[in-house]
Amino acid sequence: MHKQVEAIIENIEKVMIGKREVAELSVVALLSGGHVLLEDVPGVGKTMMVKALAKSVSAEFKRIQFTPDLLPSDVIGVSIYNPKILQFEFRPGPIVGNIILADEINRTSPKTQSALLESMEEASVTIDGETLQIARPFFVMATQNPIEYEGTYPLPEAQLDRFLLKIKMGYPTAQEEVEVLRRAANDEPIVHLTPVISIDELLELQREVRNVYLEDSVKSYIVQLARATRTVSEVYLGVSPRASIALMKAAQAYAKMQDRDYVKPDDVQYLAPFVFGHRIILKPEARYEGVTTEEIVNRIINKSVIPIKRYAEQ
Amino acid sequence: MKNNSFSLIELSIYYIVVFFILREWLVPVMDLTKTGYMELILLFIALSLVISLFRLNFIVSSFVKIAYIVWFIVFVYGGVFVLSAEGIDFLFNDLQTNLSALMRADWMNITDSFRTFLFFILIWMLIYLIHHWIVVRMNVFYFLLLTVFFVGTLDTFTEYEGSFAIVRIMVLGLVMTVFLLIKRLFNQANIKLDIVKYLKLAVPVVVLVVAVSSIAYFLPKSPPQWPDPVPFIKSAAGQGGGEVNKGGVKKVGYGENDSELGGSFIADDTVVFLAEASTKQYWRVETKDVYTSKGWEDSGYSQGELKSFGPGETIQYSLPRGPEEDTKSASIQVMYPYDFIIQPYGLKSVDASYSENSNFEFVMAMDTEKIMPYTFQAPTTLQEYSVNYSKPVYLYSSLKNPTEEIDPKIAERYLQLPKTLPERVRDLAADIVGGRETPYDKARAIEMYFKQNGFRYDTDNVATPSEGQDYVDQFLFETKVGYCDNFSTSMVVLLRSAGIPARWVKGFAGGDVIDNDGSTSTYQITNNDAHSWVEAYIPSVGWINFEPTIGFNSSRSIDYDLQTDAYQEDVLVIEEETEPDEVVEEQPETQQTAAQGNSFSKNISHFFEQNKFILVILLLAIVVSLFVLYGVRRKWMPKVYGALYRRRGFDESTFESAFLQLLKLLELKGFKRKNGQTLQTFAKEMDAYFETSHMSKLTKCYEQTIYSDNASKVDITQMKESWEYLINRITS
Repeated sequence: MHKQVEAIIENIEKVMIGKREVAELSVVALLSGGHVLLEDVPGVGKTMMVKALAKSVSAEFKRIQFTPDLLPSDVIGVSIYNPKILQFEFRPGPIVGNIILADEINRTSPKTQSALLESMEEASVTIDGETLQIARPFFVMATQNPIEYEGTYPLPEAQLDRFLLKIKMGYPTAQEEVEVLRRAANDEPIVHLTPVISIDELLELQREVRNVYLEDSVKSYIVQLARATRTVSEVYLGVSPRASIALMKAAQAYAKMQDRDYVKPDDVQYLAPFVFGHRIILKPEARYEGVTTEEIVNRIINKSVIPIKRYAEQ
Repeated sequence: MKNNSFSLIELSIYYIVVFFILREWLVPVMDLTKTGYMELILLFIALSLVISLFRLNFIVSSFVKIAYIVWFIVFVYGGVFVLSAEGIDFLFNDLQTNLSALMRADWMNITDSFRTFLFFILIWMLIYLIHHWIVVRMNVFYFLLLTVFFVGTLDTFTEYEGSFAIVRIMVLGLVMTVFLLIKRLFNQANIKLDIVKYLKLAVPVVVLVVAVSSIAYFLPKSPPQWPDPVPFIKSAAGQGGGEVNKGGVKKVGYGENDSELGGSFIADDTVVFLAEASTKQYWRVETKDVYTSKGWEDSGYSQGELKSFGPGETIQYSLPRGPEEDTKSASIQVMYPYDFIIQPYGLKSVDASYSENSNFEFVMAMDTEKIMPYTFQAPTTLQEYSVNYSKPVYLYSSLKNPTEEIDPKIAERYLQLPKTLPERVRDLAADIVGGRETPYDKARAIEMYFKQNGFRYDTDNVATPSEGQDYVDQFLFETKVGYCDNFSTSMVVLLRSAGIPARWVKGFAGGDVIDNDGSTSTYQITNNDAHSWVEAYIPSVGWINFEPTIGFNSSRSIDYDLQTDAYQEDVLVIEEETEPDEVVEEQPETQQTAAQGNSFSKNISHFFEQNKFILVILLLAIVVSLFVLYGVRRKWMPKVYGALYRRRGFDESTFESAFLQLLKLLELKGFKRKNGQTLQTFAKEMDAYFETSHMSKLTKCYEQTIYSDNASKVDITQMKESWEYLINRITS
């Protein structure tokens, strides 16, 4: 495991119990410059997770609590007339920052949601014709409650594509929950978290991730999986080439985290459910039968042909 | 597994079935070897099964079994009780004899009691094996296969009649297989045994087995499609010689026993002689004089007199000879170890190279005129010899004008006919010769009779006379289909009926030309050329050969020195005869070059035709062995490939292919990488199986070579070590 990555994850683990995998996946997204959607019922530590990650990096951390009455300008900022200089002045909103927690993203109106997602995709905000580039690193972690709950505006499938990974938190085990209680009895450990990586170090790490080598055979393996999602009978819409790119980037980050400078099919296999899961649209009948997209991705993986020779030799 | 292992009752049911199947093994063995005390041996089987059923301690069970065996041996062979003084004495004597015989590797002197002991041990091992098959493998297929094969073999090759035994075995075996299969299925699916579920699966299958067997039992069955293979195989192995098998199919060839003629035969291309001679001719071997209404026997007229003569010495016998100046010589190369000399017509002497001190001589049996080579007064075989002969030329004038009276001795001997010969045969003979005056004309008429009256030459579908039926009568009046024996025998009988002394001659027809060298040709004479024909005694001329068989040419030479009315007819008929025959297969034309290529392909097809049975067995054996090889491929293929790969070696340049070969080897061994399983996970699985970490090491290195762009240098010595370790583990 890469030293700096290990440090971040250890830091998170001080706060979060038994959520190492979630922490790792979050770091994967952070390193590959993507965004994360954390999805689960309230109270399992989604927000705590993001806070811990943000605190581990000495970066600017902003938090947007989405509510039904939140306006796009509350997110991206607003131009205000400054009487002193007799001009409109751009006041950037909370989206302009390094690590942004978009809490309960599905509670706000689609208008505000799309404002957020657009700035996520482009890493910039545009107000009154003025465009402001958001400085890197720019990492959004959104949380949402599963759509079955009332008072929510579910994100359209197309919008979900903007997130590199969708991660489910899941409940802790009994043992872990006891530990949670023990810690909660004392004071919050999150207060004592200190950053373990600087912005420059993080940017350097991101650069290195982009240089992780991907043999063509592994690339073709990614394509093999992506194409397979498009032919499954239960699937209404398979993943797009953007998903293949996302999987490739995530796999590079994951390989880097393992301190490896090349990607293996193992990396691809591990990440595919998280990258493809929210990008596959099931047919309604399949959904009623309780089929999940993760199941489908795993099924595809189990049928896939692993490249065991170089691309040129195949 | 625990809750699905066999209950005692269940296992005992299986054992009872096994007992009955083993009984099927024992019955034919006992029957064929004329062994008694079957009940006691069955008791031993039962005892062993019971011991195996209760999983008795090995020492205890061995003791019980040994005790039983010893008791049996002493009781059966010594007739005394084992614990008496005589019994112990007997036992020790026997032991001593056999041990010393064993030490000397003197297998012939091992006593029956020791063989019985070994037989018991065999049963013992068999039962252990069956126990393993049932309890561990839960599969008795091989046992059943073996049993069916065993009984089938005995049924085919011995007089043991196993038709019902096979049915019994099949029914018992199938039922047992069904129950074991269900058991296995339950085990695999991890379902707890439950009598209702069990019966739900078992009952329909058992009903099916019973239904199918009973339907099969009651259905009409066609008789065996193949001839009984035993005489066939025997004759193919050179022990046959046209053995007569009543009603069965014989194989063509020169046989000794002609007492029961009839029946079909199949062709045999075994070469018996190569004869280098200037003309094609008949090769005479012996004659027979007594017709029994079923076949031919030797009357023993000369009381078995043997006349010996040396090589080159002129032979004195009944046949006429041609003039001295026409003497020719033919050299014979014997390909098949018959013990007789083949004689051309007009034989004068036989030459053979022999060693001086071997007391070599030729002996002619005066009864049959058969010549055999002897050394030290015992028959021997010759590889090569040559015969000098001068073919007799019969003067047409002498044939037409017999002056001599028939010698009463000849008349007595060669006019014999069985008392049971039906009158219509004599009537027919009188009919045929009616109006002819000379014996020769009469004989010619009889010879021609067959060719003009719808007789047909065939080797298949030839009848055997039923009891009380005359062989000749059947042929002449009922079947009219047959081969040389039918024609020649009938002609002899007709001649004798017409008052012409005649005898039956056996030998070989001319054969095929296989080589030609100007003046002489090499004739190849096969078993197919075995032939029989007729010699008739014509007063003042002597014995003259006739050929009644359709498709064969007479080879006698007649000097037409006399013009008569009948002359034209006679000559014409002879010319007609010498035209190519319709039955080409028996007497192929002696075309020289064209025939050779032809005969080659014909030989091939004949070969296949004749050895059909053996070829089918061979093919079956190959198929079976291929199946077996495929079945146990996990045992031998890794070894073969391992050896191959090891020879190819392992270094940096071959690292990648070596790794892929390792994967292949694992696959052969049964460890196939599943779809979607990455090398790393596969390696972990393998390491867990082999309890090492070599596979992971190798895989890591391999992954680096194929997935990364800057493959760091492979640590070849370490990798080689791991690779060799794994290859050894897989192939060991």
